[in-house]
Amino acid sequence: MPPIISFRNVTLGYGRKQVLSNLTFDVDKDDYFGIVGPNGAGKTTLLRAILGTLAPMSGSVHTESSHGGPLHLGYVPQRDSIDDILPYTVAEVVMMGRYKRIGLIRRPGKNDREAVVRALDYTGIASLKSQIFKDLSGGQKQRVLIARALATEPEVLVLDEPTNGMDLPSRITILDLIRRVHEEGALTVIMVSHLLDDVANHVRNIAIVEKNFFQVGSIEEVLTGANLTKLYGMSVVVEEVLGRKTILPGGMHAAR
Amino acid sequence: MQPGDIVTTILHDFPYALYGSLLVATACSFLGVYIVARRVVFFGAVLTEVSVLGVTLTFLPFFALPHTVGSLVVTLVSVVILSQLLTGKKMPRDAVLGFVFVSSVALRILIMQKAQRVESAEVENLLRGDILFVTPDLFWIMAVCFGVALTAHLLFSKEFSLIAFDAETARATGYNAGAWDLTFYLLAGAPIAVATHMVGDLFVFGFLVVPPVAAMLLVRRVPLIFLVSVGIGILSPPIGLYFAFLFDFPASPAIVGVSCIFAAIAFLYSVVRKH
Repeated sequence: MPPIISFRNVTLGYGRKQVLSNLTFDVDKDDYFGIVGPNGAGKTTLLRAILGTLAPMSGSVHTESSHGGPLHLGYVPQRDSIDDILPYTVAEVVMMGRYKRIGLIRRPGKNDREAVVRALDYTGIASLKSQIFKDLSGGQKQRVLIARALATEPEVLVLDEPTNGMDLPSRITILDLIRRVHEEGALTVIMVSHLLDDVANHVRNIAIVEKNFFQVGSIEEVLTGANLTKLYGMSVVVEEVLGRKTILPGGMHAAR
Repeated sequence: MQPGDIVTTILHDFPYALYGSLLVATACSFLGVYIVARRVVFFGAVLTEVSVLGVTLTFLPFFALPHTVGSLVVTLVSVVILSQLLTGKKMPRDAVLGFVFVSSVALRILIMQKAQRVESAEVENLLRGDILFVTPDLFWIMAVCFGVALTAHLLFSKEFSLIAFDAETARATGYNAGAWDLTFYLLAGAPIAVATHMVGDLFVFGFLVVPPVAAMLLVRRVPLIFLVSVGIGILSPPIGLYFAFLFDFPASPAIVGVSCIFAAIAFLYSVVRKH
């Protein structure tokens, strides 16, 4: 089966400034794909190119649904990019995911309301539907944003730093939800994160992003101490602790 | 003056003062919800000053348009430029708006010093608007501008609310956020330009900010915020005009003052509710 997202010799940037250059990689259907890198490395730039909101300076970005036709992406932005000054309810926020399907001028119909209910149920926040979005905790807000993305009925779920700023229980809950969406919903998932532990134990394939260092491959191939040491400019080791990959500062260990 | 006489005077001698102030207060308190929600409150103040500059420019020989047309042209051109600058990241929004605000005021003062075609008091009335002398023509131009803006906002409420709430996701799902922003600013700019010429900058800016803020303090549902804001917009002009005649106050500050009293009550209510 051909890849659903294909980058060929892509250079990305803003104006004349290049941020990332010569990117070549594919994302296959049903993949769980992680994008990691330090802050300011260009993760969001790469994400924008995947979403189609940033045109490449050179090279080609091709996206195509596995059924043919345009690829349908559901996007979960960083929570702090949301301006929740107006008190929208959870149901109203999730309904926003349907707006593009509803189209201009038309009002939400029965199908749209049913899709919202399904998304709320699936993400376990049906009881919150009448709550005000801005009153929710970080973890609850993230579930609402995932529900909104699912309400679009996407083929690919794209998440930008979904666990940023969360406490440990909320992080685990959100990562489990994303894994469930990937496995049960058979959705391709692309997750950007600077939290290596989150990515290391969940994704199947990974892209490490830094200005002069870009590697793509399976988690076993790419997430190595040597690569991370090169990426962060400090000694880093990857250890198995209780069956989970754990990223540790090198200290007395040698990078491997 | 007896209360009955005041009502009779307003309805018989200054009917368009009442109708005009009701129309502008309704329009501004509706559009103001979006302006406050987008955190561009200063945009309203800037547009009122740009609109006043537009009227001032019509005193120049090479821009001798009708005052309302001049105001509209200058405001809409400024809106197009501002919408580009406000969505860019090179300069902070506040700095862009501040620059346009002070340059509009400065240019207006300089032009008025040199364009002595009419008496200064008359110019001041033209520039600042006067509720008591709203003309039927201006009223109907304003009604059309607001009618268009209201219709567009009702038809495209989904798109405007999504882009105000989460522009990044809107872009990611295929909306041209820049074009929608420009549409929003143009739809807000035209009524603001005409309204400023009609009733003055204090009135317009006051109703763009005060009723929406009061409504946000009072209620916790988005549709209700629009309803309560417009409700305050509808209630304030008749009460304010009444007190203006009763105590011989200027009309604009009296009406805006009434809306501020509503806002103060809303604030006290929100404090009590919180505790």
